[in-house]
Amino acid sequence: MSKSMKTKRTIGNAITYIVLIVISFVWLFPFVCLFLQSLRSYNEGGGGMVEYLLPKQFSLDSYAFLLSEESQFIRWYGNTLIIAAFVALFQTIVVLCVSYALSRMRFKGRTFLMKFWLILGMFPGFLTMICLYFLLKQFGLTQAGAIPGLILIAVASSGMGYYVIKGYFDTIPKALDEAARIDGASRARVFFTMIIPMSKPIIIYAALVAFMAPWCDYVFASYVAFGYSDSYNVAVAMQRWVWTNDYQGYFTRFCAGGMLIAVPVTILFICLQKYYVEGVTGGAVKG
Amino acid sequence: MGKDANSGNAGKKSKKNPVGKFFSGLGNDLKELGLTFTEGDWKTKVSYLIMGFGPLMRKQFVRGIAYLALEAVFIFYMASFGVHYLKDLGTLGTIARVLNDNGTYSYNDNSFLILLYSILTIIIICAFIFAWRMNIRENRNEEKLLAAGKALSSPKQDLYSLLDSHFDKTLLALPVLGIFLFTVLPIIFMICIAFTNYDQKHQPPTNLFSWVGLENFQNLFSFGEQGIGSTFFTVLSWTLIWAFFATFLTYFAGMGVAIMINKKGIKFKKLWRTILVMTIAVPQFVSLLYVYKMFANDGLINTYLMRWGWIESRIPFWSDPLLSKIVIIVVNLWIGIPYTMLITTGLLMNIPEDLYESARIDGASGFQMFRSITLPYMLFVTGPFLLTQFTGNLNNFNVIYLLTQGGPYSMELSNKAGYTDLLVTWLYKMTVNDTNYRMAAVLGIMIFAVTAVISLVVYGMLPSVKDEEGFQ
Amino acid sequence: MKKKVLATVLATAMVAASLVGCGGSSNETGGDSTPAADDSAAATDDSSAADSSAADSSDAAADNGDAAADGGSEAVEYGSGTITIWVAENVVDFTNEKAAEFFAANPDMAGYTVTVEPVGEGDAAGNMITDVEGGADMYGFAQDQITRLVSAGALCPITGDNATFVSEQNDAGAASAAVVGDMTYAYPMTSDNGYFLYYDSSVVTDPTSLEKIVADCEAAGKNFYMEINSGWYQPAFFFATGCTLTYDTDNDGNFTACNIDYTSDAGLVALKEIIELASSKSFQNGSSISSGTNIGAIVDGTWDSEAAKEIFGDNYACAKLPSFEGSDGKTYQLSGFGGFKLLGIKPQEDAGKLAVCHALAQYLTGTDVQLARYQAAGWGPSNVTAQQDAAVQADEALSALAEQLANTIPQGNYPGDYWNLATALGDDIISGTLSTSSSDDDLKAALQNFQDTCISYAQ
Repeated sequence: MSKSMKTKRTIGNAITYIVLIVISFVWLFPFVCLFLQSLRSYNEGGGGMVEYLLPKQFSLDSYAFLLSEESQFIRWYGNTLIIAAFVALFQTIVVLCVSYALSRMRFKGRTFLMKFWLILGMFPGFLTMICLYFLLKQFGLTQAGAIPGLILIAVASSGMGYYVIKGYFDTIPKALDEAARIDGASRARVFFTMIIPMSKPIIIYAALVAFMAPWCDYVFASYVAFGYSDSYNVAVAMQRWVWTNDYQGYFTRFCAGGMLIAVPVTILFICLQKYYVEGVTGGAVKG
Repeated sequence: MGKDANSGNAGKKSKKNPVGKFFSGLGNDLKELGLTFTEGDWKTKVSYLIMGFGPLMRKQFVRGIAYLALEAVFIFYMASFGVHYLKDLGTLGTIARVLNDNGTYSYNDNSFLILLYSILTIIIICAFIFAWRMNIRENRNEEKLLAAGKALSSPKQDLYSLLDSHFDKTLLALPVLGIFLFTVLPIIFMICIAFTNYDQKHQPPTNLFSWVGLENFQNLFSFGEQGIGSTFFTVLSWTLIWAFFATFLTYFAGMGVAIMINKKGIKFKKLWRTILVMTIAVPQFVSLLYVYKMFANDGLINTYLMRWGWIESRIPFWSDPLLSKIVIIVVNLWIGIPYTMLITTGLLMNIPEDLYESARIDGASGFQMFRSITLPYMLFVTGPFLLTQFTGNLNNFNVIYLLTQGGPYSMELSNKAGYTDLLVTWLYKMTVNDTNYRMAAVLGIMIFAVTAVISLVVYGMLPSVKDEEGFQ
Repeated sequence: MKKKVLATVLATAMVAASLVGCGGSSNETGGDSTPAADDSAAATDDSSAADSSAADSSDAAADNGDAAADGGSEAVEYGSGTITIWVAENVVDFTNEKAAEFFAANPDMAGYTVTVEPVGEGDAAGNMITDVEGGADMYGFAQDQITRLVSAGALCPITGDNATFVSEQNDAGAASAAVVGDMTYAYPMTSDNGYFLYYDSSVVTDPTSLEKIVADCEAAGKNFYMEINSGWYQPAFFFATGCTLTYDTDNDGNFTACNIDYTSDAGLVALKEIIELASSKSFQNGSSISSGTNIGAIVDGTWDSEAAKEIFGDNYACAKLPSFEGSDGKTYQLSGFGGFKLLGIKPQEDAGKLAVCHALAQYLTGTDVQLARYQAAGWGPSNVTAQQDAAVQADEALSALAEQLANTIPQGNYPGDYWNLATALGDDIISGTLSTSSSDDDLKAALQNFQDTCISYAQ
């Protein structure tokens, strides 16, 4: 009996392994392709699309192009890095402030504010693009000033995304606050010296999510920075290589650029994966 | 306009009739205003005209000067800026660009800025009225405190309260201002745009646009040769179908993967997880564009299938309307499963093991246990998550736009909509490619309506909606 | 002396422009709103009256009006500032270089500096329309965008001597491409915006017959690319069988009438041929060499000639488009559009800057620079003198194009919606909604639908 159970379990495990291996293959396949294409030499297909997987001639041409003077890739990369870093910093601060106020303080208009923001969130973000563009333009934050403009836009409305962190704060017992306040600590003191240190995992989660978003920001970044290539981020700059006919033979460069973006972000992500899982799971349960 | 609609919606949740509540509140407020005036001393009475006069006379200098400065700034703003725009709100400008006789142009009225700044000015007026009201209440409170023989708070105390009892104001001031300026104001603006003819032919600063009433909404629901009504409903139904499949297929598949990885006896759990999670880390504009090329008619997959002789002719992954929808949903699994896998992994661990033990003793099979223990528990816990996923998928721009950009197109559909367009990608195309802002604004309002209705209906049905205080 | 002439021309000739350009566009804004326009319209032969009416209309107008009046009698102060130019990526360095040469030759205009940004022809028009004020002062665009740009007020009218420059220096097609209604709006840069056939001579044996090209590609397992869901390539079939599709416009870029006869028998033959082509195993929809794979032949333009040479190597060859045998048994030569790339100037608020922009645009689209641009980037000149150059005449791709252009119609103005509609028709063919098994009635219904919708765009 137990022997048949055992074989049954072994078979079950074997099937699971097979499925997992297939899944891993499917999930990794595009990235492997991307990597292989980025190593294809210009001599094959002139850097355009080809219909086979393995390059016949490996070379670092595309990477050399991206890192050379000829391309502004390094500048675009730097732009994106700057945006991502500042957004991660400021957005986390803003969200922490909002979450603490909503989690710990009971003030007039609190529920109204939460409901109002919930409703605001139901409007599609792209609706207001043209208005935001002209608003930013009034401040001189488009084209040449697009980078601070993009940071401003990303940070300004981030208070509405308080759910996950507020949920986390809600799980910290209020009794701790009360005790500290009886000892004479102000709200601000409680916030800075107690709550924030206790919330390290969720802060890392919030910063990580905020840091990753600008790497994929094509829509708004292209709208704000148009016609001024010094202000492009990687997504805007590289999208042109595949979507417009002005760039012939840029496909391998696109793949190479994609690798240069993906690798550091992925490494960072995998290092902080633990916090990410915690945040995502917590956020899901609290809705 | 937008503000009213919003607060109306917000009010619906409270049990009382929101309109009645509003007016009774207003009545009480007016009563208090009158009372303060009749009962107040001359300092208070002067404060009705010169804000902060009372506090200043009562040696509350910081507060007094703040109120006074507020009034001065407001008057300056209105005189130098606000009135100038507000007076044109009715027409949205009368003189457009003028060509001078030397070939240069002069720009005159700009409908866009007139509307934007008028809305801003109206909101500032409302805010000023609120501040004025606060100024009156301040006077009343000070009078009461003085009458009771108590000391008024010192500036130092005021400052400390901003870090303690009024810490919420300190924390929320900037975020609320940011949301107001870059979310609320633009949304009100775009709602107004839905009632104008702001499109390619009426684009400031060259041309003016003006109010057209409900014309754009009529256009959306017109079904004739020229109307976009049928296209709208085609896109809407695909949006809903997409959101349904994208949410639930991903959810169950993710749960399945999580169960497999967490199965007893499976090794390298962390490795499997990390492999899946890579899709979250790699920016979608890279990964999805590549996936698009892979499935293209002349892409890798078709070429290899042909070469191996598995297919006779190329599979039209992106050019067949039905097939492209299916492929999009499948590719979305690739994007979405890692998220749900992560989420469900944590939750699955929380299910008490003895539940399964007792079920096993009762002779339940694996599937039966899943159906009667795992699934109900998971659905209960992740109900709100599923709802947010669903509304998120309604507006899932990246997956659609980076894959098909809405295509394939057809003469059955009008206004640049394609078979895989969601409302939100359609809106984007109207904004960016066609500068048809009037219809984009109408679509935006429709998206809001759809999201709001679904959220309200489903939220009420969720079993796990508890009082949020319950968590604490 | 030269600049005096220029200034006089600007000051006087623009009166006419204000009548046409301003009077028309202001009609939309309502009668009460445009005293300035009405006045100037009344003052047809009295430029001083127009001057004073402009002064009435606003302070800014008055300042500019005075400046122009001064400029008419004295030397022009060009002032200083920045001029932004948007051109395609591959001519950014070239344009920078040529702009520097221009300012070296015209030191009186050297107060201006030039910034050249890589914004492709497709994006440029969209960006200009989104925000005219934030857009470039001068920008290159493909001809099909001109009406959109005019109606959005993103192009400055070209009048007087400047307009004469356009019509005298360029070939007739290019000059007419720069005109909307009867007003010139841009300086032609190239006459090469047409398409023809690039092919791999080891695969395609006979480039004169579409059937044979497709058969050769099928036999060799190669792909034949033609972007049939593009409103630009698709008419190659319809025009081949004798159909017409043109639009009439007024000076403000509004479409007033549509001349189309796609519902004829000729239209049916063309549609059937597209469907026939799309049903081939070797057919791929596309027109970009580097996004294509395994290319046997491709219908594409001169801008891809470098990429084509790289891909085909020694087997690189090009020819005019092939002919095909229609379902009615007759043979038709594929036609299509002959188009142009143009350089436009954004409406300016400063007279000095406007004058510099015109002068710079004329330099950048003049004989020498067009020839140099051909040598640097392979762009086929629209300038008649440059076209006679030996090197241009000998260019393989350009001569294939020239041969093809004999069979095409000069591309006129088409509404933006037309391109979407053509994509929709093409996608219906590619997705098999319209297929070889569709009945003639179905196809006719589709053509009728297409034609009706096309007509509806012209109001």
